[in-house]
Amino acid sequence: MSRPRALENIRVVDFSWVRAGPWATRWLGALGAEIIKIEWPENERGRLPSTTTPHSLEVNLNTSGNFNDTNVNKKSLSLNVRSAKGLKIVKRLIAISDIVIENFSSRVLQKWGLGYQELCKVKPDIVYVSMSGYGHTGRHHHYTTFGPVAQAVSGLTYISGLPDKPPAGWGWSYMDDTGGMYGAMSALTGLYHRNMTGRGQHIDLSQMVASVPLNGPALLDFTVNGRGSRRAGYPPGNRAHWPGTPLVNNYRGPTVAPHNAYRTHPGEYNDWCVIVCHSDEEWQRLVQVMGGPAWASSPKFATAIGRLQHQQELDEQIEAWSMTLGKYELTQRCQAAGVRALPVQSAEDRVEHDPQLRHREMYLAMEHAALGLHKVQNAPFKLSETPASNHLPSPLIGQHTREIVESLLGFSHEELRVGFADGTFWPTNRKRFPYMEEMLQ
Amino acid sequence: MSEAQPLPGPLAGLRILELADETGQFCGKLLGDLGADVVKIEPPGGERNRHVGPFLDDIPHPERSLSFWYYNTSKRGITLSLETADGRRLFRRLAATSDVILETFPPGFPASLGLDYDSLSLQNPRVIMCSLTPFGQTGPWRDYLSSDLLHMAAGGEMASTGYDQADAPNAPPIAPGGGNAWHMGGHFACMAIMAALVYRTVAGQGQYIDTSIHEACALTTEAAIANYIYRGEVVRRQTGRHHAAGPTPRTQFQAKDGTYVCALVGGRLNPKYIGELADLLDSYGMAGDLRDPKYKDPAVIAANTSHIIDDLVANFIASLPAEEVYHAAQDRGFTWGVVRAPEALLDDAHLHDRGFWKEVEHPELGRSFVYPGEAAIYNGSPWRISRRAPLIGEHNIEIFGDELGLSRGELSILAENRVI
Repeated sequence: MSRPRALENIRVVDFSWVRAGPWATRWLGALGAEIIKIEWPENERGRLPSTTTPHSLEVNLNTSGNFNDTNVNKKSLSLNVRSAKGLKIVKRLIAISDIVIENFSSRVLQKWGLGYQELCKVKPDIVYVSMSGYGHTGRHHHYTTFGPVAQAVSGLTYISGLPDKPPAGWGWSYMDDTGGMYGAMSALTGLYHRNMTGRGQHIDLSQMVASVPLNGPALLDFTVNGRGSRRAGYPPGNRAHWPGTPLVNNYRGPTVAPHNAYRTHPGEYNDWCVIVCHSDEEWQRLVQVMGGPAWASSPKFATAIGRLQHQQELDEQIEAWSMTLGKYELTQRCQAAGVRALPVQSAEDRVEHDPQLRHREMYLAMEHAALGLHKVQNAPFKLSETPASNHLPSPLIGQHTREIVESLLGFSHEELRVGFADGTFWPTNRKRFPYMEEMLQ
Repeated sequence: MSEAQPLPGPLAGLRILELADETGQFCGKLLGDLGADVVKIEPPGGERNRHVGPFLDDIPHPERSLSFWYYNTSKRGITLSLETADGRRLFRRLAATSDVILETFPPGFPASLGLDYDSLSLQNPRVIMCSLTPFGQTGPWRDYLSSDLLHMAAGGEMASTGYDQADAPNAPPIAPGGGNAWHMGGHFACMAIMAALVYRTVAGQGQYIDTSIHEACALTTEAAIANYIYRGEVVRRQTGRHHAAGPTPRTQFQAKDGTYVCALVGGRLNPKYIGELADLLDSYGMAGDLRDPKYKDPAVIAANTSHIIDDLVANFIASLPAEEVYHAAQDRGFTWGVVRAPEALLDDAHLHDRGFWKEVEHPELGRSFVYPGEAAIYNGSPWRISRRAPLIGEHNIEIFGDELGLSRGELSILAENRVI
C-alpha cells in the first residue's frame, strides 16, 4: 500500500459541519490530504440528531451512519475555538496547514478572530474556502440555507416535476452534495494556484449562487429569447416534451419520444424503468425488442414528430409491454439491442443489485469502532497513479486530539491534561468517552 | 483598481484539449471559466450538441444553439477528424504540449486510434488524460447507452423524487430536469483532474483518470445510501421535500401570487422556535393562537403540529406575495426560500451585488447577452467567463497555422480532405 496520494502532505483545517462542507473535505481526504476536523460537542449538527444510527445501537455522537459515510478519511480534534486558549491552539495548527475550509454562516469565523486577514497573519499563503449559504459578499450574506432552500431560491426546484402540479423538486439536498463538490473544486483550484504562484487567497463560495449556473440553458433562453420557464407544459415530468403544448426544448437534451418512466413487473414501489429513443433507428430497435407488435407499425409512430404528437398512446402501449418484464431483464434486453433503457434504482438496488457498481467496487466495507463493519461509498474516478481511497473510518469525536495536540503541535502530555481539565478540549461538565480517558492516562 | 490587465484565473497557463460531447462539455467549461486555455476539438462540421435547442430566436442553426453556447464558454474551437491519419498526427502534436486531455468517447475508441493514454504519455509524460464516460472503462454496463434520464433512474435520483399521493395520485418517480447527470459527472471529473494537476506540481508526472457518470450520480443522493446501509430503509418520495422512510410534514406552501414558498418548519418545532414563529406571523397580525402559553409544552406542540403548519404557516404564506415571505422570514433568521422559476433570478439584488451576471459578447452578431457567472468569488485569481463559445473551426488558423506552423496551403488541403 505504498501508492502515492495526490494530496500527500497537504493539511486541511476543517471547521465544516452538517453535510456540504464535510462532503467536500471527505474527497480531499480520499485524495490523500490530512483532514483535521475541528469539533465541539455543544455545537454539533452533523453527528446529532441522527436518523441513521443502527437500531441495535444507542444514538450518541459516535453512532450516526450518515456521519460516518460523510466523514471518512478525517481526524477529529475536539477544541473550544471560542476560548482564548482554543483560538491560540487553532492558530498554531493553521500556521502549519495549507487550507482552511468552513461552512458557517457568513460572519462566524470573523467573529472568532479568524477572518481572512487574520488567517493571512498566521499563514500568509493560506487557501481559505468559505462555503456559506449566500456567500460573504452581497446584501443577503446573512441569509441561511439548507439544501432545499438553496434549490428553491436558485430555480432548481422549479424545473423538476409534472406540469400543472406543485414542483416535485429534489427528494434530497442536492445542493449539499453539489455544494460539497464546489467546496472541493475551490480548494483544489486554490491549491493549484498556490503551488504555481506561491500565493493563497480567499474563495467566497455560496451554496445558493452555485446552484444558479446549473440552470444555464434555461436562463439563456430567457436572457436571449425572452422565454421563461413559467410556461405551459414545463417542466414536462420525465418526458422531453408534454403533449399538447408548444414544441420547445426542455434543457435536458434532444426533444424526442419515447422518453419516459414505465412501470415494470411486479409493479411495486420502485418497479420502474426509463426508456429513451434518440432516433427513428433506435425506435425501430425498441419495436423489435417488444416483439414487433402491430400497434407499433402504425405510420403515426414512424417519425420523431409523430411519436411526440401521439406520445400519450405511445407511452401507454410501451407500458403495457414493460409491465410484463422485471426492470433488470428489460434493461438487459433493450441494451443488448442498442436501446437506451435503465432501471429506476433505490438505494437498496444500487448497493445490492447493480452489477456495474458491484464490478467497480463502489461500496466496500470498512470497520468503525462504534458502528462496526459497514459499506462506505467510494470515489467515482480511478486515478492510475494516485488512486483515491477510503483509508480512515469517520473519527469518533475528539479521537485524534492527543495525536494532534502532542505529536503535531508539540504540546506536552501535561498540557493536554490541563486542557481537558480547563474545558479547552472537552466541556468540563460533559462526560468523557472512554477513549478520552485512555488518551489522558 | 486600475484598468490594467485583469488578474488571471487560478488555472491560467494550462492547455486542455477537450474531445467532449454533452457528457463532458460542462467539465471543460468549468476548467475554461477557471482560466485554463481549453481547446475544444470538434469533428469537421461541428459537434452534435450544436443541434440541441433552444436556438437564438428559435432559428435552428449550429451557431445558434443556446445549450451549446452555455456549455462551451471560455473555450477556443478547432475542427479535426481523428478518423484520418492526418488528423491523428495533428492531434498527437497538440497532445505533446498539452496539460490535460478530456475525452468522452466510447470506451476503447481512443485506443483503436492509437490515441490512448499509454501512447500519448510516451511523448508527454506530464499529460493528464481523463476519460469521462457513462459507466467507466470496465464492467458489464461499460458499453451500455445512456442519457440524462437514464442516469437519473439508475443513479437513484428518481427513486427519491416525486409526489405525495394527495398531490399526484400514482405519479411516477420524477427525474429532476436540467441535464444534471452531466453536471454530476463533470463536478467529479473536474475534481479528479484538479487533484492530478496538484500532484503533478509536486511529482512532475501525469496520469490517467477513469471517471464514471453513473457512479457520480449514485453518489449524489445525500443520505439515501446511509439510510439503507445502517437502517435497511428504502425511502418514499414526497412532494417538494426530502425522501423519508415515513411521511414528514409538507414544506411547500402556495403564496398569494401562486408562487410556492419552501418553509422548513416540520421537525424544528420547539418552544423557542414557536416564539420566533409567533414574532414573524405577528408582524403581519397572523400569529393566531401561537402566543398561547400552552405552547411552552413540547407535548402540546407535538399534538398541534398539523394546526401550526397546515393552518397558521400555510395561511400566513397564502396571504402574502412569495418574495415578501422569503425576505421577511430570512431577515428574522428563518431558513426559508421562495421557489423561483429560473428567470426570476435576474431580479435578485444579492446576485447583482456579487457581480454574478456577465455580459458576454458575440461579436459576429454585433450583440452581447447576459450569462450566469461563477459559483464563487476568488479574491486572488478570479473565476470568470473569458469569451463566448467558439464558432465551428474558429481557431483553426490560430492553432494549426500560428501555433503548429501549418501553411495556408496545407490548411486548405486538410479542409478539402475533411481532416479539419
